[in-house]
Amino acid sequence: MSEMKEMILEVVEKMFKKTVDKETVDLAENGHWAESVWQILKDNEILNVAVSESAGGAGGDIDDLLSLYQLVGKYAVPIPFTETTLSNYILESYQLAISNDSITYCLPQTSLVMNDDQTISGTLINVPWARHVKEILAFAHSSEGVFPVRLSLKEATIHPNTNLAGESRDTVTFNQSKSLQVQSTPLSDDQLQDLNTIDTAAKNALMCGAIEKAFLLSVQFAKEREQFGRPIHRFQLVQQHLALLAGEQAIASSSLENMIAALLEGREQNEVAYTRIRLDEASRIVSTSAHQVHAAIGVTHEHSLHQYTRRLWSWREEGLTANHWKKVVANTLLTTPFDDLWSYLTDSEKIFTTN
Amino acid sequence: MKLPAVHFTQRQHEFRFEVRQFLKEKCAEGKFHTKCDSWLSGSNPDFSKLVGEKGWIGLTWPKKYGGAERSSLDRYILTEEFLAAGAPVAAHWIADRQTGPLLLRFGTEEQRQFFLPKIAAGTCYFAIGLSEPNSGSDLASVTTKAEKVEGGWIVNGAKTWTSNAHDAHYMITLVRTDPFDGVKKHNGLSQLIIDLHAEGVTISPINYMTGQPHFNDVYFENVFVPDEMVVGELGNGWKQGLAELAFERSGPERILSTLPLLVELIEELKKQNNVIALEEAAKLVAQLWSLRNLSIGVARVLEEGGEVAIPAALVKSIGTKFEQSIPEITRLLVDTYPRLEAKQKLDRLMAESLLHSPGFTIRGGTSEILYGIVAKGVVAG
Ligand SMILES: Cc1cc2nc3c(=O)[nH]c(=O)nc-3n(C[C@H](O)[C@H](O)[C@H](O)COP(=O)(O)OP(=O)(O)OC[C@H]3O[C@@H](n4cnc5c(N)ncnc54)[C@H](O)[C@@H]3O)c2cc1C
Repeated sequence: MSEMKEMILEVVEKMFKKTVDKETVDLAENGHWAESVWQILKDNEILNVAVSESAGGAGGDIDDLLSLYQLVGKYAVPIPFTETTLSNYILESYQLAISNDSITYCLPQTSLVMNDDQTISGTLINVPWARHVKEILAFAHSSEGVFPVRLSLKEATIHPNTNLAGESRDTVTFNQSKSLQVQSTPLSDDQLQDLNTIDTAAKNALMCGAIEKAFLLSVQFAKEREQFGRPIHRFQLVQQHLALLAGEQAIASSSLENMIAALLEGREQNEVAYTRIRLDEASRIVSTSAHQVHAAIGVTHEHSLHQYTRRLWSWREEGLTANHWKKVVANTLLTTPFDDLWSYLTDSEKIFTTN
Repeated sequence: MKLPAVHFTQRQHEFRFEVRQFLKEKCAEGKFHTKCDSWLSGSNPDFSKLVGEKGWIGLTWPKKYGGAERSSLDRYILTEEFLAAGAPVAAHWIADRQTGPLLLRFGTEEQRQFFLPKIAAGTCYFAIGLSEPNSGSDLASVTTKAEKVEGGWIVNGAKTWTSNAHDAHYMITLVRTDPFDGVKKHNGLSQLIIDLHAEGVTISPINYMTGQPHFNDVYFENVFVPDEMVVGELGNGWKQGLAELAFERSGPERILSTLPLLVELIEELKKQNNVIALEEAAKLVAQLWSLRNLSIGVARVLEEGGEVAIPAALVKSIGTKFEQSIPEITRLLVDTYPRLEAKQKLDRLMAESLLHSPGFTIRGGTSEILYGIVAKGVVAG
């Protein structure tokens, strides 16, 4: 674990508290670019975290990055922070040059092809932030396989679109566009798997942050709101919601911690999948109970709760979903030889301790 | 608790098909698009006028007030078909469901003659003025007050979360006509019909989380309300309001707000020939069937004048949970990407269902309050 982690997190949380308020998020949901948020992260080199210093980064590791994403989720930070930092992290792992500006990425979609002359054509859907950023890390198909490519979005036609939370999820079309850089060999199966894993790990961190915020808002509201002459947290049925929320928050956060630990130690087998599947469940329980505690005020646009619940409803459908990871786990259970489930679950710990 | 079994006559079946046919045609003509939660968030005065012209508002009321003197089961069928089609009935909904029956039971002859024919024509809409900023679940603590003056009352205060007040002409408003005595807070409350265009009334929209207007703050500053606009007995507002609740809580709108999504889900799974997922969806179908039985059973007892406060609270608390579960189960069975502007109907209905689902278990009395009513009721026997 990076020693700097606690400090970075503290500093960045302060920045988010200072620059990201409800109105900033509202504006971004209406298509405005939150320059002040972007600038403060850029000035403090937070945009280069988890890229090694030799590659032009600020150092740090995947633990730092995922912990920061949790904060992004907790404050609904409306800039392509996750996209830019994760693109660069992935680019470095492919030994490609990182981007010095804003960059987004998009998991492989078969519609994007590499032509014989190495130019790129095709349409990508639901690309985060495309209309606001300069470059994209995409994956182009050819007869030889799938190639990571870095492209300038100046080359693309972009149709704006949004998810349920008003975050930009644009349609991006390339027509025989020249790439900035291409990996010379196609993605190996391992690389593809790592890509899926890291993308889902990032989504897990974001969701975990939003869950924490919905929980905190509910606790605060239950203390402030009075009915029948007492704060509503005194009613047992409200207490039940608060207890459910606390449980989901604790489960989410410890899932994330364990997922990160597994990733760091290179023993990730199913942790990302388990976390993703469990957070899917959490998103339902948390949005239901948080809204129920807030009652009418929580469904108004003026209140901030929906900025978190709508993100949960959006993020849980993006990238590789719980439905996908369930199949992965099922397949692993079918194909991995083990005595029984219990030994399977505990064996991966043994691998770790002997490492 | 025992409720009668569901039974419809041949004539009632024919009526159901007549309504369904009408809605199919109007939908095909582009008069509306199927939406989830259309009974509260789908306000469309033009459509309400069409329904009024068909004679389908105030279906059970006496003919002399513009009604059709038909049974409340006929009305139940009509309502179910509107909800299943996701038709935009919100503009006239409250007037038809609540104001009409209230005036028929407690109103004066003049009030009935003045309001009911217009409501039945689909041109006069009402809003519900109960909640206030500090009085949600604790409704009896309302502080909006009416003071007696020559010929009427002067109202001061504010109501909030008033659905569709921006389209409505009047509001049945719960106000304090006697000062709060600090002990019996249910006393001294009265129901006034307030003209929402009267001087001193300010309506300011509250946007829903979608960013769209949905409900409103309604402020009263020295609003004069003539004596003729008092509903029923002065000081009896709480009891009169309770009488409405059984109708409000047991209707099909507490079960069917997300039905269009369930219908679409089944169609999609049939297309995929996905038997395993259909088996899961079958649980939702059984749940729907069982809740309908409960709700129609309550409607039958209501028609005979029986006591149904507890089963009505059950229909609402179980029914709204069911409505909420439909999008959550749908997404486990098919891949969806919810978006209000989606081209795929399923994705659009998913977005509407998710965004409106928090309200299902809040509006009309929260589930927590309903559980309390049910528990007290069963303990009292
Ligand atoms: C979509 C929508 C439309 C609406 N339309 C209208 C309308 O047209 N007219 C109108 O007058 N109102 C309307 N309302 C308001 C609605 O009636 C209130 O929201 C509801 O009564 C709850 O009040 P509240 O929001 O103030 O929540 P609160 O009463 O503050 O409740 C907050 C939380 O505390 C819980 N709680 C409160 N008291 C208790 C208790 N004693 N025991 C256990 N738990 C308790 C609640 O269940 C809830 O979970 C609407 C609300 C919504 C969401």
